[in-house]
Amino acid sequence: MPARASSQSTAVEIGRVLRGGTAGFVAGCRVRELEAPQFGALVKVAQGEGYEVFGLIHDIHIDDDGLVRQLVTAENITPEVMADNRERRIVPIEMSVLTVGYRQGGQIQHALPPRPPLSLDVVQLCDDRDLRQFTERLGYLRLIVTAEEIPIGELVAAHIRQIQARRTDPGWKALASQEVITLLRDDYPTLMSVLGALGAEA
Amino acid sequence: MADQAIGYVVGGGLKENLRVRLMVSPHEVQEGAFVVIESGDFLYYGLVTDLQLGATDPRFADEQSERRLPAALAQALHGQTLFTNLEVLPALMLERGPDPGAPTYADWLQRIGDQTPRPGPVKTVPAHHAEVRLAQEGDIAEIFGKPGARGNFVIGHTREQSHPVCVDLERLIQRSSGIFGATGTGKSFLTRVMLAGLIQYNKASALVFDMHNEYGFDDTASDTGLRVTGLRSKFAAKVRVVGLGAGTLIRDNTPDFHLEIAESDITTADIELLTRELDLKETTPTTLDALWSTFKRNWFGGFKAMNQDQVTTEDGKKVPASGSVAAWANASGVNVMAAEALHSKLRRLFQKPYIVEKPAADSIKQVIDALEAGQHVILSFGKYETDLDYLLVSNLLTRRIREAWEARTNAFRSSGKNEPRQLVIVLEEAHKLLNREMARQTTFATIARELRKYYVTLLIIDQRPSQIHDEVMSQLGTRISGWLGDDDDIHAVLSGLAGREALRGMLSRLEPKQEVLLLGWGVPMPLPLRSRRYDDAFWKELLGAKRTKEQNLKELGF
Repeated sequence: MPARASSQSTAVEIGRVLRGGTAGFVAGCRVRELEAPQFGALVKVAQGEGYEVFGLIHDIHIDDDGLVRQLVTAENITPEVMADNRERRIVPIEMSVLTVGYRQGGQIQHALPPRPPLSLDVVQLCDDRDLRQFTERLGYLRLIVTAEEIPIGELVAAHIRQIQARRTDPGWKALASQEVITLLRDDYPTLMSVLGALGAEA
Repeated sequence: MADQAIGYVVGGGLKENLRVRLMVSPHEVQEGAFVVIESGDFLYYGLVTDLQLGATDPRFADEQSERRLPAALAQALHGQTLFTNLEVLPALMLERGPDPGAPTYADWLQRIGDQTPRPGPVKTVPAHHAEVRLAQEGDIAEIFGKPGARGNFVIGHTREQSHPVCVDLERLIQRSSGIFGATGTGKSFLTRVMLAGLIQYNKASALVFDMHNEYGFDDTASDTGLRVTGLRSKFAAKVRVVGLGAGTLIRDNTPDFHLEIAESDITTADIELLTRELDLKETTPTTLDALWSTFKRNWFGGFKAMNQDQVTTEDGKKVPASGSVAAWANASGVNVMAAEALHSKLRRLFQKPYIVEKPAADSIKQVIDALEAGQHVILSFGKYETDLDYLLVSNLLTRRIREAWEARTNAFRSSGKNEPRQLVIVLEEAHKLLNREMARQTTFATIARELRKYYVTLLIIDQRPSQIHDEVMSQLGTRISGWLGDDDDIHAVLSGLAGREALRGMLSRLEPKQEVLLLGWGVPMPLPLRSRRYDDAFWKELLGAKRTKEQNLKELGF
């Protein structure tokens, strides 16, 4: 995998910012970069001077283009044609990211960032150190469960599973579940959807 | 769980009680639990009157989520969405002042001076989120008094943590009290416990109208078949058992002396009290008045000696014989038929062996003398167990005793010397003498109304408090009630008290035989208790307890 590691960390680059705002942004990547990002993964965009925006991937979207439309109906597509079309496609794979916090002056804040990432800023998967620091406190879960038009249950469940797998403290998942229940206890349908997904993960 | 918070205040008020969110399992707290709420400079003492299950959304309660979710997740969910609220009746509050380490503590000490704050009525509410804990032994001692201090008698223990709860005997004897409960709820045992405490305390004399011969000599419990120690057995020098009628044996034991009633002791008012029992007619008072006019104090003997004979005159007419009721009636201008009917109905009394023309000794005076000398009298009715015996003897004797105490009290008020000894009259089946119909006429109602004015109070024991006249019930300062099933009885026991609705359910859910509710305006606050058991351990604690040097010094004022 042609990963480009940054000089400060072992974070893996997975694409660049296409468009966005403070609440979230969309990154584009190539097919060969698609092996690293996962639904629910914690990513960050570094903008220099220690300012980094953190987010969760909540959708990975593959758009078609004119050539794909033609090829879909063609007969006998050879592996070479298929590989050529995927690797050289002109429309990138899009990843929608929900902003859940930022780092400034070395301090992690679980709040919307003061400014969004810019186009073509590099999007990286967080390494273990970033991940531990960011998930030490659970305030960012508030931004997930209040987000609109995203699969909150599935996203929370996938995120918690991934983080627990990479953290050394076994009680983190229970704490995170408690926090989610606290945040959603007045919203029965959403909470049961989240817990259903968490239960399915267990 | 000692001293640990069990919850925190989430709402409520003085009118609707306080609501407390429970933080421990509802199984750890029961209805009737005595709780303490700490808020600022005050401690609030309250009683749990209800436990209510709640949910942040009813759907969390409706759905059995533990079947859908892994156990840990379901537990976490239930912990946050399902809860139990306590309803707490605030009963008392106490100013405890600032924390001793706080800078304002010295100011507070100066402000209160020598007047140590005492628990008083609740006039405000604790703040939101004020911590609530179960009362500790010290809290209960603060409210009900310290066990071991003179006059404080342990009547039972709290249900959750078995902390001892005392009644103040000094206050108890100054007001009339009542012990209630349905049949089989342990009224007799509790009465024995109370009487043993009173006798041991030795500040008041007790006169017990023992209709069923239970209290004097050893008895056998009707339900368990076990031996029950009599008060005479343990307090041989202090207790006198009096048998009604000459030669009467009480449980095969010879009483200390016998009570015989002189015919001249019976007044016409005593007979009027028996109107219902003897099925007397409206004409009775007129006839009795005429009898009194004719014979004065000897009216009973005079009437008893009459017959209903007739003689035939020479011309064949039947006329009343000399010495007959009719002859007396004609001479006194009384309706003959009414007089003869009364004579027939009083025959039941004429035949009572304990009513004699001249008793061998003035046994009523003996009773009064014993009581004045600081002894306790248990009047056992022996074989005379009918309501007629009970009503006549108890009322007559009490009337005489009250007259004696009234005379002594008046003499004491004039001279300031020889203060009468406090007397407690223990009345079983009290509704027979204190029902609405009788209460106006009997001496007992007068005693209940007068409170301590003449140094005589009542301890009434009954299973049907609803039958007792409201006016009498309202005078009972301390009420100890076992389980009651009848709504009217529950209503009667709670009459005149705050928080009746909350206490009502508690009374109907007491454990029969074991638990009682201590309540009334004579006790600091209502509290359900496990009543003290009347067994060997009780006697050992009561009679065997050695007084400590500190207790003796404290009583001497050091």
